[in-house]
Amino acid sequence: MKINFLYIFLLITFFTFAQEQKMSDAEIISFKKNVEKESKNTQTLKTDFVQYKHMDFLSKDIESSGKMAFKSPNMLLWHYLKPYNYSVIFKNSKIYINDQGQKSTVDAKSKMFEKMNKMIVGSVSGNMFDDKEFTISYFKTKDFYIAKFVPKTSTLKKYIKQVELYFSNQNYSVSQVKLIEPSADYTKIIFKNKVENAKIDESVFTN
Amino acid sequence: MPKLMNRFLLISILSLHVFSCKSYQIPDAELVSKQVESIENKYFSNLETDYIYKAQISVYDNNLSGIFIAKRINPTTHRVALTTDFGNTLFDFEIAENSFKVNYVIPDLNNPFIKSTLKKDFRLLLKNNFKIDNQLKTKDYDVYKSKKEFIFVNQNNSIQKITTSSGSKEKRTIVFDAKNTTFAENITITHYNIPLEIKLSQITNTN
Repeated sequence: MKINFLYIFLLITFFTFAQEQKMSDAEIISFKKNVEKESKNTQTLKTDFVQYKHMDFLSKDIESSGKMAFKSPNMLLWHYLKPYNYSVIFKNSKIYINDQGQKSTVDAKSKMFEKMNKMIVGSVSGNMFDDKEFTISYFKTKDFYIAKFVPKTSTLKKYIKQVELYFSNQNYSVSQVKLIEPSADYTKIIFKNKVENAKIDESVFTN
Repeated sequence: MPKLMNRFLLISILSLHVFSCKSYQIPDAELVSKQVESIENKYFSNLETDYIYKAQISVYDNNLSGIFIAKRINPTTHRVALTTDFGNTLFDFEIAENSFKVNYVIPDLNNPFIKSTLKKDFRLLLKNNFKIDNQLKTKDYDVYKSKKEFIFVNQNNSIQKITTSSGSKEKRTIVFDAKNTTFAENITITHYNIPLEIKLSQITNTN
């Protein structure tokens, strides 16, 4: 009997620590302040990333990987290296694509593109706390602070169910992004080998 | 005079009808005796395999790139999806010979003509078994006619091309570039009545 109680107690304790806990109001204020400070201090960002696309009917997630570069306030390079060479640059309201040597440009002036652009740049830099566009809830685990964003507008809801940003609780920078679609399929991006405020030439943001 | 005019008109209409009913002819093909009752397309037939391709779609003056995913989910049905390189799902269908289910499609592609075109393309691409009406032979191929489809089998006994005809013309062609008889490395779907081409290149999923 004693052993069973101990076992159950340990299991409950384990699951409590592994689960997310909601942040208190005071914790949310402190967290947002720290993220804002970190974001303001970040002029450039270089990182490797691994991306997993999860669809329920597949036997395994589709994996791709590459490098990302960000220059404040809103220049972003997303360069896939595996399993194919493909890069996208967000710059000056335009999207520059280099698809295995084939180059094209998309004028991102539509409202939807602007919102998506703002969301992608915001999710990378951690600067996404827009209460007008999203209902935001805050959680913490042993290793992360988590902000969950649910779109408010019906237009965005047709594309996205929820975006989750995982912040390192060591330095308040984004270490994971999870984009959940209306079907519940999702894309998870994990950042590795992050370097902040290294010199990045503007020529990096040309295709 | 009116009787002569009517007769002339009737003959013209009948001639037009006869000429427009002329079926698609393969150049330099001779009819041979039918050797098989059916042909199997093995390229998307394995229930265990996730078929993942890099997709490049050109339609009118627009180019779209993404990841094409197909999986046979039961003996009669395939699940087919297209995502952007970032992982956003553009469409997610379930396709069988006699059914078509839309799990998800982004608003921009939610158009009856687009869905119908994609349905017909992928139904042909994924069709596992063709019942043969006639057999022909050219210098390089054994050609099997199944209703309006012509299946070109090369000297390695692999399906190299499938053409759908409409009247006397080609309507749609699927070309398979395959060293492997069960998972084609490259596939091109070309339309002759609308400026639409879909190119698929196999991806090795490193996950």
